[in-house]
Amino acid sequence: MLTAIDLTKSYGEVSALAGFSLEVAAGEIVGLVGHNGAGKTTFVEIVSGLIQPDGGQVRIAGKDPTHARAQVGISPQHISLYPPVTVREHLRLFGGIAGLRRSALRAAIDELADKMRLTGFLDRPVGVLSGGQQRRAQAAVALIHRPSLLLMDEPTAGADPDTRQALLDVVKERAAEGAAVIYITHYLPELTELAATIAVAKAGRIIARGTSAELLEKLPGEVRLTLPDEEIHVSTTEPTPTLIDLLRQVDRPVLGVEIRNPSLDDLYRSLAV
Amino acid sequence: MSVESLRRVGVLVRHNTILRLRDPGQMISYIALPMVLMLVFKPLYERALDTGTLQAVTGPLVMFSVFALAIVGNSILIEREWRTWDRLRASRAARAELLAGKTVPVFVILVVQQVVLLLYGALIIGLPIPRSLGYVVLAVAVWGFTLLSIGAALATLVRSRGDLSLVSDIGAITVSAMGGALVPVSLMPGWARAVAPVSPGYWAMSLIRAALAGDLRAMVEPALVCLAIGVVAGAVATYRLARGWGRSHLL
Repeated sequence: MLTAIDLTKSYGEVSALAGFSLEVAAGEIVGLVGHNGAGKTTFVEIVSGLIQPDGGQVRIAGKDPTHARAQVGISPQHISLYPPVTVREHLRLFGGIAGLRRSALRAAIDELADKMRLTGFLDRPVGVLSGGQQRRAQAAVALIHRPSLLLMDEPTAGADPDTRQALLDVVKERAAEGAAVIYITHYLPELTELAATIAVAKAGRIIARGTSAELLEKLPGEVRLTLPDEEIHVSTTEPTPTLIDLLRQVDRPVLGVEIRNPSLDDLYRSLAV
Repeated sequence: MSVESLRRVGVLVRHNTILRLRDPGQMISYIALPMVLMLVFKPLYERALDTGTLQAVTGPLVMFSVFALAIVGNSILIEREWRTWDRLRASRAARAELLAGKTVPVFVILVVQQVVLLLYGALIIGLPIPRSLGYVVLAVAVWGFTLLSIGAALATLVRSRGDLSLVSDIGAITVSAMGGALVPVSLMPGWARAVAPVSPGYWAMSLIRAALAGDLRAMVEPALVCLAIGVVAGAVATYRLARGWGRSHLL
């Protein structure tokens, strides 16, 4: 669905992308992680057709991004809504631009209002809504025309658990219907819930790509041994044999044993730092 | 332009009309204030000038139409503040559709402002009914286009609403005063008469007065100058808006 090959982009002397490549298949959710400044948002802006790369190529279903806008839905990093305009009017605006008319538009609004739990504030101006409600409205605007590529840039930043869950449920549903999803987040448990494959960005390129299991396989876990007068920590990719070795070597009473498997947070720290 | 394209423009026009109607303060102010000034200055102008009534109506009209640049500029600057312009640019709507959707409601406001003031001038101040309403409509439309383009260009060049307010307030007073909106150009000092044609307000005054007099020939030159200014400013605005503001805020 999306193919980005060797993208480069610089702002003056600052290199935002330096050979950024990523492929996303229809129905796949890719969690794009990386520290601030890794190039994630620049990548989203290029895929959205908002800026042109200095080099490289992007294709969305075989088309240039500027010709594929009808197929793309974007939930930007920052709230990008009109404060005096109601949620329903936002959905009418972006649904209307996407070509939805009358009954189809009404049906799409009703469906999203239900799934994103917007019903209670659908006819209130965005400016009076809470942060979580604005987040839901923002995501709904991205989803209104059932895009085949969804770009979600930290869609749950600052959101409450209800908002987070509503959004994750809809994203999973849209992916199950065949949409390709790029989901940028710093909150990694969301990627586990979405069963997303992961792409780690660093310094303007993707440095690791795969399922979380594949990426975690290469990471060391930790064995902790608590003794009366000290605690031993050993980082290892083979925790069980390491633990057995340690127990053989220790000549004092062992008060506690813990094996900690690597987590997505460890992955994030080890690859993106 | 395809049917789909026209529909998108319609959706955008409706949306931008909603935005304007929910923040009508400036529009009301720029219609009410010149009405008051017309009433107050009418006796003064009528005593001082043969064309006093005409001056009492066209002067405030041109001055406050230039003040209305702020309406145009704000309508664009809020998209920057709310980060919504990029969201629209990333949608299916083409650049021309976005610009049409944004500018049509503001253009209508500019035209409505001038038409209301002319009607007020005719009904309350005593301005003679124009010989040709068509010429007046043409003049109002041309000047509205010029204002729209200048306002849009300004909005893409300034850094904040404060900057826009500064430029439009100083600009409105300077442009309209130099153009003869406060004192007829013929009564201004020699240096001011010499530089008056630099001001778009001068050409607006000439255009509207010629239209009110039903003098098509006299309308041609000021109309062409206003259109030329509008085309240049419009090109600047279109270029800047098409690029968007981006994260760098270099615009």
